[in-house]
Amino acid sequence: MAIRNVRTLGDEVLGKKAREVKEMTPRLRQLIDDMFETMYEYQGVGLAAPQVGILRQIVVIDTEEDSPIVMVNPRILEQSGSQSGNEGCLSVPGKAGVVTRPNYVKAEAYDENMERFEIEATDLLARAICHEVDHLDGIMYVDKVEGDLFDVEQEEEEE
Amino acid sequence: MTKTDVRELALGILLEVTEQREFCHMALGNVLEKYQYLEKQERAFLSRLTHGTLERLLELDYIINRFSKVKTGKMKPVIRNILRLSVYQLKYMDSVPDAAVCNEAVKLARKKGFSGLAGFVNGVLRSIARGLGDVEYPKETREKEYLSVCYSMPEWIVEKWLEEYGRQTAESMLKAFFLGEDTTIRVHRDRISQEELKERLEKEGVEVRPVEGFPGALTIRRYDTLNRIKAFKEGLFSVQDVSSMLAVEAAEVKEGSFCLDVCASPGGKALYLAEKLKGTGLVEARDLTDYKLKFIEENIARGGWKNVRCHRQDARVSDETLVEQADVVLADLPCSGLGVLGKKPDIRYRASRESLAKLAGLQREILGVVWRYVRPGGVLIYSTCTINREENQENAAWFLDTFPFEAEPLPGIFRGFTDEESIRRGMCQLLPGRLGNDGFFIAKFRRKRENHGS
Repeated sequence: MAIRNVRTLGDEVLGKKAREVKEMTPRLRQLIDDMFETMYEYQGVGLAAPQVGILRQIVVIDTEEDSPIVMVNPRILEQSGSQSGNEGCLSVPGKAGVVTRPNYVKAEAYDENMERFEIEATDLLARAICHEVDHLDGIMYVDKVEGDLFDVEQEEEEE
Repeated sequence: MTKTDVRELALGILLEVTEQREFCHMALGNVLEKYQYLEKQERAFLSRLTHGTLERLLELDYIINRFSKVKTGKMKPVIRNILRLSVYQLKYMDSVPDAAVCNEAVKLARKKGFSGLAGFVNGVLRSIARGLGDVEYPKETREKEYLSVCYSMPEWIVEKWLEEYGRQTAESMLKAFFLGEDTTIRVHRDRISQEELKERLEKEGVEVRPVEGFPGALTIRRYDTLNRIKAFKEGLFSVQDVSSMLAVEAAEVKEGSFCLDVCASPGGKALYLAEKLKGTGLVEARDLTDYKLKFIEENIARGGWKNVRCHRQDARVSDETLVEQADVVLADLPCSGLGVLGKKPDIRYRASRESLAKLAGLQREILGVVWRYVRPGGVLIYSTCTINREENQENAAWFLDTFPFEAEPLPGIFRGFTDEESIRRGMCQLLPGRLGNDGFFIAKFRRKRENHGS
């Protein structure tokens, strides 16, 4: 396991489309483990492979309200309703902004064993799925933000 | 994706208030302003957590110190405040599971760069979560200590109130500060009737109740922020405690009068005076700085009043143009604020015996200037939002001794709020509690018609 380097806004990899995963390999399993570790280290609730520089369609999500989820080749099948709220991204550190997302989504994806599953989500999880799936298409939340980004305190103290 | 951690915001506010002596309502207000888009529940959680932690601070520290070898005074500020807000959740917020409180605290400690102390935070919180029911409080016979911990009030204030009011009244006051969850508003009855406004607010999902004994006053609860209430933006009501309204009532102002509010910010009382004048006369609202005048101007703009104007003036400095000009001078002066501890829980940790004495001196200095603005036969209202003899009764007595004024009985509306003796003597100390009002002092003086050698 390792914590990977998170790419930040301006890195061109974040603007590219990720490729579909055809089969699970040990390297990709390792990638998934590392993505979880990286997400937890930086207190994210979701992370997409392009954010660690890998253009494959893999995302990990843990909103803490539901169990951790791996989604390989995710597709959003249905969506409805809307929620406006603030959102941040590990690739845009120290900032947040308001984004409107559907309040309900139904998605399909494959797990780490390439078993297909469907998931229905509302509220935060629905928001997280949309945010991460956007990353696979090279879309950042800053493209959708309403109004200005604002600073989120991030003062660190030395022990 | 990341999300805003409300506990991290709460920690930021606590640090500002406890370590940098920022005012709680300012620090919280700034954060709510900046994070406009937090969900209603998140905003409510944040307000409750910061306000609650501050109003229970001494009790929380007492609990922490019974479980931790390192005492709160020796801890790093970040760790101390993480523990405080976590213990508040453990003890006072049943909706948050204990395990979540501990986990969030540990995460927050790590995020703030204290990974090495995450184990300490976890250990202390888990033992508090287990042992919270068996915490030994100071014995009830040791009155001062017991009341101080139970009601999180510095011992010197407890001692002072025990001396001045006795155990029973002191304790009911201490209790009352925890009840102030409602907001009191004054209906602008020149624009809308009380019933109509009540109906409109209820349509917006706000819970509304009338204040007994005071027509035009309502209490509201269960709203998000005032600025999202349409009727507020339209200037149909303002937020004002009943005791502040009473200070204005005491003046019994007549149409066409010239009224002077010498320390007016944020302007609530001045605007109530203006309303009472029904568009006639003039109210001049003064205060020390442009910053303070800005609040008054905002309030005037919201209501669209024409007979109010603002003026920057240090109340300690005499303005010769106003001598004997005013029909009513309202001197609601800077004070120690011990009557509004329910709304401003941090005041108690800032105040000291020395600061109280200093404020009493400042009040005398201002009164010694502004009495001259009252025309012979005019009225001066002296009020404070505190409970402290030195600032209140003693200053009022000094005023009567020193200047050509007489005490004047208070009007009938006071009947529901104080005793006959106070009404007759023209000065009353409202205690917080029974009626959900703040602790407040109001005295009414009328200037003698012949000016005896002053």
